[in-house]
Amino acid sequence: MSEERDEIFARVRRALAPLPVRTALPDWDPARIAPGFAAADSCTLFVERFREVGGVPLSSRQGLMAWLAGKGWACGYCDPGLWPELRGHFPPQMEVSTSLRRARIDDYAFAITVASGAIAETGTVILTDRDTPVRLAALAPWAHVAVIPRSRIHRSIACALGAMPDDPNIVWVTGPSKTADIEGILIEGVHGPGIQAAWVADDR
Amino acid sequence: MKEQPIDRFAAELEASRRSAVYEGTKATHEKRTRHLAARFAEADVLRRTAGEIKQHVVEHLDRYLPEVEVKLRQHGVGVHWCSTADSACATVLRILQARGVRRLVKAKTMLGEEIGLAGYLERHGIESVETDLGEFIVQVDRDHPSHIVRPIIHKSRREVATTLERIGLGTYDDDPSTITQRIRSHLRGKYLAADAALTGANFISVESGRVVIVTNEGNSRFCLAAARLHLVLVGIEKLVPRDRDLALLLNLLARSATAQPLTVYTEFVAGPRASGQADGPDEMEVVFVDNGRTEMLASDCRDILRCIRCGACLNVCPVYRQATGHAYRSVYPGPVGAVLSPLLAGSRFPEWADLPKASSLCGACNEVCPVDIPIPDLLLRLRARGKQEGGPQARIGTLPMGLWSWIAARPELWRAALRAGAALDLLPLRLAPVPALRAWSKDRDLPAWRGGAFRRWFRHRSRL
Amino acid sequence: MATCLCDAFYDDVACATVEVLEHLGCTVEFPEGQTCCGQPAFNGGDWTASRRVVRHAVRTFAGSCPVVVPSGSCAAMLFHGALLEFEREPDRAAVEDLGRRAWELGDFVVNGLGVRTWPGRYAARVAFHRSCHSRGTASSAAAETLLGSIAGLTLIPFGEGEQCCGFGGTFSVSFPTISGSMGKLKLEHLRAARPEVVASGDMSCLMHLGGLAGKEGRPLRTRHLAQILRDSLRHGGSPS
Repeated sequence: MSEERDEIFARVRRALAPLPVRTALPDWDPARIAPGFAAADSCTLFVERFREVGGVPLSSRQGLMAWLAGKGWACGYCDPGLWPELRGHFPPQMEVSTSLRRARIDDYAFAITVASGAIAETGTVILTDRDTPVRLAALAPWAHVAVIPRSRIHRSIACALGAMPDDPNIVWVTGPSKTADIEGILIEGVHGPGIQAAWVADDR
Repeated sequence: MKEQPIDRFAAELEASRRSAVYEGTKATHEKRTRHLAARFAEADVLRRTAGEIKQHVVEHLDRYLPEVEVKLRQHGVGVHWCSTADSACATVLRILQARGVRRLVKAKTMLGEEIGLAGYLERHGIESVETDLGEFIVQVDRDHPSHIVRPIIHKSRREVATTLERIGLGTYDDDPSTITQRIRSHLRGKYLAADAALTGANFISVESGRVVIVTNEGNSRFCLAAARLHLVLVGIEKLVPRDRDLALLLNLLARSATAQPLTVYTEFVAGPRASGQADGPDEMEVVFVDNGRTEMLASDCRDILRCIRCGACLNVCPVYRQATGHAYRSVYPGPVGAVLSPLLAGSRFPEWADLPKASSLCGACNEVCPVDIPIPDLLLRLRARGKQEGGPQARIGTLPMGLWSWIAARPELWRAALRAGAALDLLPLRLAPVPALRAWSKDRDLPAWRGGAFRRWFRHRSRL
Repeated sequence: MATCLCDAFYDDVACATVEVLEHLGCTVEFPEGQTCCGQPAFNGGDWTASRRVVRHAVRTFAGSCPVVVPSGSCAAMLFHGALLEFEREPDRAAVEDLGRRAWELGDFVVNGLGVRTWPGRYAARVAFHRSCHSRGTASSAAAETLLGSIAGLTLIPFGEGEQCCGFGGTFSVSFPTISGSMGKLKLEHLRAARPEVVASGDMSCLMHLGGLAGKEGRPLRTRHLAQILRDSLRHGGSPS
């Protein structure tokens, strides 16, 4: 253990010692911070909020494929786990690969990945290292399509935090990558996807 | 009376720059207000609760710092402790050099700005590229951020377009969308070629040892997709006790900073990538930095350590809106900067003692603060400290109060002064012996002196 | 407490305050020894000087009566500011006691006496400027409750109502450029709403705004809350 560590800890103790009372940790109720959506079921709410944050909800495999066909993209990535279910359904002439090659990173127009879940309150997609084994896939292509298991939509941020998977990397994605750095004008697709799409699928 | 540097800066500021900042901050503030009111019936209760959580953390750092260190190590994370800015820079450099790192990509960290890390690394032969769009422009322009959340709020799209042309990213085009696309493709190469990534941390949960990093652009995510080493630079105050507390703080941070329900990318990092993951760092190191924070902790301004760097107090502050960020001469501008900068200066406090005066004490900053920091109270305490420690920066623009208070504690003298004040009305104010009054009356009419009139009325009335 | 501003410039506001309180059945005392709340030195960082003045106020207003002030700013000095500078002083308890008894006028009428409607008539479109020291207190809401209940009076909203007028006491002296810009912005917003009267619970804001407007040659009709309440009783008609 370093000298600086001990010095810092000692200074912290010295600074706090004279406090006659210290602030207690408040026992707050998470239900309080997410009011106003009692009625809808989590899936409906997710779709509504996902749309609000600029996401594109897709309701079926057919819907996904029709959407992809409409975009006219030439090349994309598909998670190997989804491949058996989706192969043969992609539009003709579309090159879809199940491995992401960094040398060709700018060629992939879209990627379809497996999400670990979602948060209805905020329209958020949850990705983890375990379920989404290629971080770059969900990030580098212009469009990202997350396939979300219907049973794993959390009602609120608080619920999602209460059920965090044991994974070294969890990322919550809420809408397309964006910036308002230049004159406050909203631009989507800064470093990550300009399009976030999601298909809430029945559990496989 | 000498001019206040911040007021002088405001007087000399280009009108276009002021209006860019004014419009930008006003729009964000109003969006924030609508957002909070629309979804939260009890936004003020939430702010106060979040404030209590953070105050609790600050007052229990003696317990939480060792605990979080253990948690991080359990995740296979290296933990480093640095007392000063110099030591933090040197520690980062040592970690990078030991692994032969030549190219570093950086996500935005205010602490990095505070300790001057990018310049330090550059001087030691390590390429350090800012990946936040605004910070990237600031870096290539050798400028300084003027806002905590929106570093180039002071720049127009024309200036940004000129910068891109100068550094060879296409011919002049000031369409924000084109600008963004050009920076996107330029930085792609940097991410993929980088040996290491450096990020800040918005929070670290003591309970789980998860490091929480938020961005809207996705740049920190990209940093962690390609690089092999992840370095986290974080102030010792950035802890939260439990994961569940993040529900409140993440919510308030996004709403307060940019009026979003949640920041686009919210990452929870607990160590290097999982086995089986194709991308991501093999190694993670967390560098905790004190740099004056323990001194703040010992002071009566420790509440400022609650700050989650959302920038809401800048957006609402009328002084920030008029003066803009660079007026504050520091990494942290606006109300929070007026508290932090003098405190971070340590023994050079007197040089910064003018900042706490740059406030009408209107309290708007406290009203919007997601962790309810009593910023006006802290500004007042720093004014009192400035007065005690003296120094030229503390004295400028300050009226001597000794004589006034002496009279104000002597009612008979006070009444005599009230009566004598009528002389003011006979004197053209431009000639007034008090320079302060002259300055005031340059732009304002003074009302007529009516000293003693109420007292006469009241006495007369009571005799009826 | 009359406030030093009313003592020196705005005697009519102090008179109106007395009449408003008497209308409500209060017996008003005016301790002749009173001077100031200590705020100028407190804000200037000279807490030694400020405490001297606060101690004087504590002596002058000793007893158990409520201390009513026609100023959110002076009231806040007594129940908040003074406590900060007396944190480590032996006589803190006496200061706290005064703080507990200190009320801003509108707050006292509505929340102290439980009065929610105001009689009489005041035919005018009124823009009410919420003075900054009333943030976090019940004062602005109280004033708006009273004003809103007066027959003939229309409260009109205006842009950026939450923003400061730029006065801030010595701030307006030390930061003339920024303070002036803030005030002019406030005037623009106020004028755009076309009020007949600009009202506030603090004369300091009105002095600043009125002073700026006067210098521009476009005078602003300003009235303190107390004056409107009194005039409503007295005239039962148009503003005096």
